[in-house]
Parts: sequence; C-alpha cells; structure tokens
Amino acid sequence: MTSTTEGAPTRGWKLPPMGVLGPILALIALIVLGAAMNPSFLAYANITNVLARSAFIGIIAVGMTFVITAGGLDLSVGSMAAFIAGLMILVMNAALPTLGVGVPIILLGMAVALVAGLLAGLLNGFLITTLGIEAFIVTLGTMGIYRSLVTWLADGGTLSLDFGLRTFYRPVYFDGILGVSWPIIVFALVVIAGEVLMGRMRFGRHCAATGSNEQVAHYSNVDVNRTRLATYAMLGVLVGVATIMYVPRLGSASASTGVLWELEAIAAVIIGGTVLKGGFGRVWGTVIGVLILSLIDNILNLTDLVSPYLNGAIQGVIIILAVILQRESRAKD
Amino acid sequence: MTQTDRTPVLSLRDVHKSFGPVEVLHGVDLDLHAGEVLALIGENGAGKSTAMKCLAGYQAPTSGEVRVDGTPVRFSSLHDGELAGIVLIHQEFNLAEQLTVEQNVFLGRELRRGPLLDRAEMRRRTADYLARVKCDVDPGARVASLSNSQKQMVEIAKALGRDARVLVMDEPTAVLTRREADILFEQVDALRAEGTAVLFTSHKLGEVKQIADRVAVMRDGEVVRTGDAARMSEDEMATAMVGRDVSDLYPAKPGLAADAPILLRVEGLDVPGQAHGIDLQLRAGEILGLAGLVGSGRTEAMEGLCGLRPARARRIEIGGEEVRIRKPADALDKGLVYLTEDRKLKGLLLGKGMRENLTLASLARYGTFIDRDAEDVALTEAIREFDIRAGRRDALVGNLSGGNQQKLLLAKVMQSGPRILIVDEPTRGIDIGTKQQIYAYLRRLAAEGYGIVLVSSEMQEIIGLSDRVLVMRQGRIAGEVTGEAIGEDAIVRHAMGVAARVEAA
Amino acid sequence: MSYLRTFLAGATALTVATGAFAQDTTVIGVSIPAATHGWAGGMNYHAQEAIDRLEEVYPELDFVLSTASDPGAQVNDIEDMVATRNISALVVLPFESEPLTAPVQSVADSGVWVTVVDRGLSQEGIEDLYVAGDNPGFGRVSGEYMAEMMPDGGNIVVLRGIPTAIDNERVEGFQEAIEGSGIEIIGMEHGNWNRDDSFNVMQDFLSRHDQIDAVWASDDDMAVGVLAAIEASGRDDIQFVLGGAGMKEMVQRVMDGDTMIPADVTYPPSMIATAIEMTAVGLTSSAPVSGTFTIGSVLITPENAEQYYFPDSPF
Repeated sequence: MTSTTEGAPTRGWKLPPMGVLGPILALIALIVLGAAMNPSFLAYANITNVLARSAFIGIIAVGMTFVITAGGLDLSVGSMAAFIAGLMILVMNAALPTLGVGVPIILLGMAVALVAGLLAGLLNGFLITTLGIEAFIVTLGTMGIYRSLVTWLADGGTLSLDFGLRTFYRPVYFDGILGVSWPIIVFALVVIAGEVLMGRMRFGRHCAATGSNEQVAHYSNVDVNRTRLATYAMLGVLVGVATIMYVPRLGSASASTGVLWELEAIAAVIIGGTVLKGGFGRVWGTVIGVLILSLIDNILNLTDLVSPYLNGAIQGVIIILAVILQRESRAKD
Repeated sequence: MTQTDRTPVLSLRDVHKSFGPVEVLHGVDLDLHAGEVLALIGENGAGKSTAMKCLAGYQAPTSGEVRVDGTPVRFSSLHDGELAGIVLIHQEFNLAEQLTVEQNVFLGRELRRGPLLDRAEMRRRTADYLARVKCDVDPGARVASLSNSQKQMVEIAKALGRDARVLVMDEPTAVLTRREADILFEQVDALRAEGTAVLFTSHKLGEVKQIADRVAVMRDGEVVRTGDAARMSEDEMATAMVGRDVSDLYPAKPGLAADAPILLRVEGLDVPGQAHGIDLQLRAGEILGLAGLVGSGRTEAMEGLCGLRPARARRIEIGGEEVRIRKPADALDKGLVYLTEDRKLKGLLLGKGMRENLTLASLARYGTFIDRDAEDVALTEAIREFDIRAGRRDALVGNLSGGNQQKLLLAKVMQSGPRILIVDEPTRGIDIGTKQQIYAYLRRLAAEGYGIVLVSSEMQEIIGLSDRVLVMRQGRIAGEVTGEAIGEDAIVRHAMGVAARVEAA
Repeated sequence: MSYLRTFLAGATALTVATGAFAQDTTVIGVSIPAATHGWAGGMNYHAQEAIDRLEEVYPELDFVLSTASDPGAQVNDIEDMVATRNISALVVLPFESEPLTAPVQSVADSGVWVTVVDRGLSQEGIEDLYVAGDNPGFGRVSGEYMAEMMPDGGNIVVLRGIPTAIDNERVEGFQEAIEGSGIEIIGMEHGNWNRDDSFNVMQDFLSRHDQIDAVWASDDDMAVGVLAAIEASGRDDIQFVLGGAGMKEMVQRVMDGDTMIPADVTYPPSMIATAIEMTAVGLTSSAPVSGTFTIGSVLITPENAEQYYFPDSPF
C-alpha cells in the first residue's frame, strides 16, 4: 500500500462532502426560509399536508431511482397513474352492486391497482429489454397510450368514485396512526425498503453495475435484462401503490390526473444525487429531492414573495442550483 | 544514426512533476532527435505516461524545461503542442466514436471551400493517409464500427494528416496483432526516413529491439539508463526496468502427475459463426495454453463455454459430472470462471471502488443483506494476497494502474471459489514485474490442484507457462503441442495452417 | 419506388373519384381542442352530440370532427380538412388565438365559411360568425353573487386557472364586481383548472389564513379540490365555495340545496353545439346568421338548476 499510480494525480476518491451535503443543505435552507416567512409553516397541519402530498411523487420517485440507476428511464409513470386510477374507479364502481360498501371492495380496488401497475411496468420492461427498444421511445409511447386510454375510459370527462364508496375509502388518505397519515406511513415504508434494497442487497448492486457498464455486469454474472425488467416492474407496482393513496383523496380521475408527474419524479431523483445516465443511485437523496420540490410550491403558496406567474421559474432555478451544488463539489475534490 | 552533434527536436531538461504532494518525476532528461525512434520503457508507475504528456504539452512540468529545437517553450494548451508539430497518440483512443474516419482525421481542422466543407478533398486525403498505413478502411465508416487495431491505424493516419515532426505513441501495439504491428513498424520506418522523430512506449521488449534506435529506461520517476537498442539485450532492459534480475520470469514447470484427474472435458462445442467442434480436456494441476491468431475464435469459444454468449456443446463434464451451461451463473455454480481479456470494458466498473468490484460477481456469498464488513475483510485479504497497490483503499478502480487493475480482476474472479480458471490475455498491457507475479500465482494455483486454461496472443507467455498447448485456427482446434515440443515454431505452424503439410512432406 | 408511385397515383384517382361522387353533399369541418380537462371534455361531448343530431336532420350535410392536443396540431388538422375534404365551412374553437389566426384567415380567404367559437382570433373581421363566451361577464356574475351573499364583506381566497387571457378577463371582471363591497381577496394563486393543484393550493391557503369566509374557485374542477381540502382540514369558517362552468355534479349539488355550493355560474361547453347548429342553418337556409353571438354567463341557483343539468354529459 505505497506509491501512487502512474501519471494519475493523487486525487483518488474522497467522499465528496458537498455531493452528500448539497441536497440536505438545500432542504434545510428551504425549511429555514419557510419558517421565517410564515409561522404556520412549521405547524403540524402544514407539515402533514406537505408530506402527504409528496407521497405520490415520492413513492414513484423511489421506483424511478432504481430505473435510472440501472441506466433506464420511464416517462410513462404520470399517465400510468392516471390510467390505473381510472381503471380502479371503474372496477370499484362496477363491483359496488355485488360487493357493497366495505373492506372487500377496497381490497379489490387495491389489487387492481397493484396488478395493473405490475403489468404496465412489465410491458415497458419487456419492450425495452427483450425487444431492445430505447427506453425513452418505449415509455414516450406508453405515456401517450395510457393518457388517451384514461381519456377514453372517462369519455373525455372525469371518472368519479361512487360517493358512498369514497366516504368509506377516504380515511386511507386522510387518517393514519398516532397522527401520522397513511400516505406518509406508506411513503416512509417504501423509502426504507428502497434504501435497504439499494444499499444493502444484491439487487441494488446489480442495478448500479448494469447502469455503469452493461458489459462488465454481464461478465460479472449479473443478469442484465432481468435486472432491468425488474426495475420497470417494481416502478409499475409502486405507481400502483401511489394510486391507491391518490384515489381516496379526491375520488376521481381524469385526463389531467398525474400530468408531469414523470418529470417531477425524474427531477427529484436527479436533485437527490442519482446520476441520470445510470450507475449510481441513492434512495434517501430522492426523498430529499421530492421534499425540496414540494416545499418550493408550499412556500410560494404561503407567502407573497413573487408573482405566481414566476413559480415555475423559481422551481427551475432551485432544481438547477441543487444539481450545480453537487457537481461543483465533485469537480473540486 | 549519428545524433551526438545535432540539436534535439524535442527534449526534457531536469523535469519535475508533482501531483499535489506527490512527486512522480524527479528530474527527467530526455532527448529526441529527428529521424530517430526512441523507445521509452519501464514498469507501470515508473512515470512514462507523465513524461510523455509533458513532452506533448498535455501537462506542464512543475519545474524544469521542455525545449523545442533547443529553445525552452511553455505549451499553454495541447493545441500549442500540435502547432509545434508534436502529436500524441493515447493508449485510450482519442476518436469520436460516432463520427466517420474522415471526420475524425480532419476533426478540428476541417478543410473548407468557402463556407462549406470540402468533403471530396478530405475524403481523398483520408484515403491517401489510410493507404500509407495499409489500412483497408472506408473513410466513410463510423469509428465505432472499427476494430481496435483499425482505430490505432486511424490515429496514425490522423497524425500523418497533421504533418507531425514528432510522433509520441503510448503503447501503440498493445491492441494490435503481430501482422498489424509489423505494418505499424513499416510506417514508423517510413516516418523515420522522412526525418520524423518517434517516441513510443511498449511492454514488449522484442519489438523495442526490432524497431527502436535508442532505448530510455525509466524507474521510479527517473531515467535510469539510456543506450542504443542494438547494444542492449532484452534481459538487460528488463533488469534495468525492474531493478533486479528477472531472467526467471516464468516459474518452473513441475510436470503433471500421470494420474491427475480430469477436471473439465468439452466435446463438440459450437459457438455460431465463431468456433466449431471444439474438444478439450483439462486435468487438475495443468495449465493448458490456448494459442492462435487474433480472430481465430479462442476468446469466443471460451466465452461460449462459460455461458457468456450463445453456444451449444455435445457434452460438457466438470469433475466427471455432466453439466449444462446456459448462463454465466451456471458456470460459476460449477466452479468454472472466465477472466476477460478486456478488463476496462468487460472486467471492471471503472467508476466504482475496489470493494464493489471485488464482490460483484459473487455477491450471493455476502448474504441477503450485504455484509459490508465481510466485504472489507475480503478486500483486505485480496490487497494482501495479490499485492494490489492503490494509493487509497477507496480509490476509484479507473484510477488504478493497469497492473493493479489486472490483479484486482484476478482477485474478483477468485472470489467465487472456482476450481477451473480460464484466463484470457491475463497480462495484456501490464509491466514485467506484475507479469512475473501473475505467472507465479497461476503456477501456484495449478500446484494446488486447480485447472487453468491460458488464452494468450503472446507467444512467449504461452510457451513459458503452458504444460500443453492447443492451437486454434479459423474457429477450430488445429493442433496440439505437448511438453518439450512446445515452441514458437510448432505453434505458429499450426496457427498458420502449415503444420500438416510440413509433416506430410 | 415505382410501386409506391403507382400506389400514390391510384390513391389520388380514388380520392378524385369519391370527391366527384360526393359533390352533392356539403362538408362542415369542426376543429376543437382535445378533452384534456373537464370543460373541454364536455365541449367534446356536445360537439359530437350536435353533429350526430344535425347529420340526421340535414342528410345533405357531412361533418368532419378533429380534436387537437396543441395549437400546431390544430393547424395541421385544419390544413388537412381543406386539402382532403374540401370543406365548405369551418367551425373552430382555437387552442390559442395568435397561432391560429393566420391559418384560419387563409381558410376564410379561400371562400370557406368560418365560425369561431369561445376564443376570438387576434385579428377582427376574419370570421363570418363568432359564437363567444363572455369571460368578463363570467367574472362579473360571480363577483356580484359574492357581494350579494356577503353584504358585510369578508375575507376570500381566489383560485385562478392557467395563466391566459381568458383567466385574466374573468379575474378582472370579478375584481370590478366586488369593488366597494367590503370583500377582501387575501390570497390568489393558480390552480390551473386542475383538481390536484387546487387541492394543494387550498391546503396551503388553509395553513396560511386562520379565517377564510368564502372561496372563489372560479371553476368546478377546482371547486372539487377545494372542497376536499376544506373537508380534510375540518375547518368550519368557510361559508361557501363558488365554482364555475356548470359541471353536472356541481349543478346537482346546487339543485340539492348544498350550503357549501349554493350556486354556480355557467360557461357552457354546449356553446360549440350552438355554433355548429348556427353554421348548419347558415349553409342550408337563407337565414342571416353572421355576426357575433355572445353566450352570456348565467347564475345557477336551486330555483333554475334543473334546466342546466345534463346527466348524460361527461361534464
């Protein structure tokens, strides 16, 4: 363990402190800013609101972290969520006369969401891995397909869950245990499972290996296609989970459900430090990314800082800043 | 070659170079004369690449001078170097993969007629340069579609297009076949005759003797010896590089016990389009050489055997038991591993640390929830056993030298606990000291009862290490050479397909 | 190559032939934005319904309906209608005014009857008939209702739509109407005519303001999100929510006497049906139908709700 290697600067790989700290600092800065602007920012109700509404994108973004880490991309998740929500509502309304309002019909709806998500994810994965079509193209295609399917199912309008059913199902979004609402609990569980899977289990390593060099992964006994397929399938299931949380909130789905969720999820993943071209991913970073995105909206709504016309610009600037923070630190080290 | 009384075209005077606190060049003096070929040799880590980069203007020396025609210069950029007529060809090619050959040759200095590109003229000139290096490549072909050796030729064609006064090449023959290397040397000869100064590095001392006028040997950041190539033997060069005697590069062959059990038996292995009807058997304790020209299907056959590419076999037995191998995991389960010839593109994740690389192929051993402590223990073990020298334990693998990468790759394939090892070009592009370590390690494994298949293009390596040699030609086993008969002559005859005729005659 | 050419020649011949056969029918093209939100969905429904009905009444009329998801696609649709269907009249609900003005003008210049619906073109005098919604009126009716409901004034929050000219006209009309009534707008954000966005915005309004007397959601889709947020918060300071457009679920709640939704303001998606019908009448009879025809916004109250309730419409 002596000399340095030929020609190489003694750079080595230090843990880039800012690369890790960057997103966390950005989040803390936002929280401080929010608290300074409005005292109700840190109130229990507001924190619950923000966390619960982050849950949909957050759950999806955890799945997206794996897809991107393995070198893929999925643009279809927003449409997929809308489609699954629509399907779920149709099935539950149709089953109402036979099953009546009760737990079984809710379980049926959940099963429909999970199975539909799994199938949709497998379809994306199959087209990408087995047929070898670019992920961008495949998911751009399925994005359009699911979006128009939900428009078609809703006849151009809105699919609404039967009122009685909705009242019964509603607590899944708004209630919880010990004052923590269900979406937050589910989000937390998904994050913990994702973090363990990414950092502590074979699958996570295989995703990173596949994303950084497919050939090396193949020569290292990693089933590249199966790994990829599994990331898409997992993302599909998580979209299903997110939809299960989404439907009880408003009890409806339409063509405008889930618009741009895919870009928000991808942005959250990248803000969190996952590399867009694959090979490195971290689930906890994604959570930070999701929270940053939700907080920006929340703070802008809670204050009159800027014209609402500029909300998008503020978001854009913060996204780019968060990524620059990480990049610069990496270059310096 | 009388260069004594002439001013060198390019020289280094007392050049020091530091990266951070570490000095890697300690006062290097080097002269390069017009019409002369200088070979710069040394182990990995000796400072050859850094010295070359200082010469070509890629890096500025920390102190000392770079002189062009005797005048000290400071290159502020690579472009300045090229303006002075110095062209550096990297070991990792500097070509834009998605552009065509012609676009690459004229990249950054495109010819124009008015505002438009003069594509006809560029194409004509490119074809001309390619013809000079006897490279049969369409100027309109995409670089990504070329083989490594063709890329090397394109790099040289590119240098020709820049009218280089000084051509600096970092291991130009590492990826070339013997025939291609000969073409390269013809071209170097022609350039020398035109008065170009050529500097190159190589680990192949034979070709250094063949082509170089003078040799400069580097060790530990200093030039320890320079002299006429003609007056230095290969042994002397190696000794100067390593600093100790390396005449015992290859370990002694202990001879194989007659009753050694057969570990691997392959009958009728077909890899579509690459290899056909391959039969082989391997005994415990044996190193079986697999020789043949590049493109003879050696690598493909072995990859097919290990489930890395589609293949069929009539029968495969491991340890006397019939097995089916459809995917890499099947081979691994049976204790059969393959060490790839291409450590950078197929062997290691260059952007990851050593730990992740070491355990990637055998993660299952570290539990459902990966036991990082156990991984760390394994890494410590590997660093010790294989003498891996990385500055830091968490260094990125891409920053390790070739030799250390190769040792790590070897450690990685040993992780899965194999009984049979197929090593493909195990010492490509690494220094002689590391080579010696790897040879000794392979022999020790054999002595412990492992079976080893050695695929190599380096004749000396095959001859020095193998107990038995199979020679492949055009996708088939062309012949077998055993024991005392193992020699260059016999192997080449089989490889070239002349053995039968000679025997018949 | 030659196969392709033969095929194209054949196809052209065929088109010409059908064109000749179809000479005695008159074609009306209808170009509208796709059903990407509730109101547009209703508008699509009414367009289709009007076409089905009119094709039965007037056998000599033929309709082509196309829906576009962005202005560029709409221009393409219109060009295709002119080029391949030889339309005699065009009914267009422009996605946006600017980009559609020039293409529609060239259609009008070629002698085709042009009916513009809802959004006007950016240049006057191109269209033969303009069936307009009344956006300032929509805001004004909403504002007047608010002022009437809150004679002593109060604090309200406003959810706006997607930033567009339509949205601006509505909000300006609203602000003028409440001027001097003592009603104060304590928060105004864009909910983008979207249920989820308005839910989030309303949650944040509720965090920020302790006392909100009423909400102008300005759209029924947004009212859905607003109601869900209020319900979840358990707050009882909000007396009522005023939406807009006339979504059937909201009209029903008005009919049922729901105190949170005491009224609604129309901006009927059926205006497209009116436009198509007037165009058909104009082409088949000598009745004068050109000019501007404004469809005013009307307040829906429990008394008149029944006549604005279309149970079969998706909106």
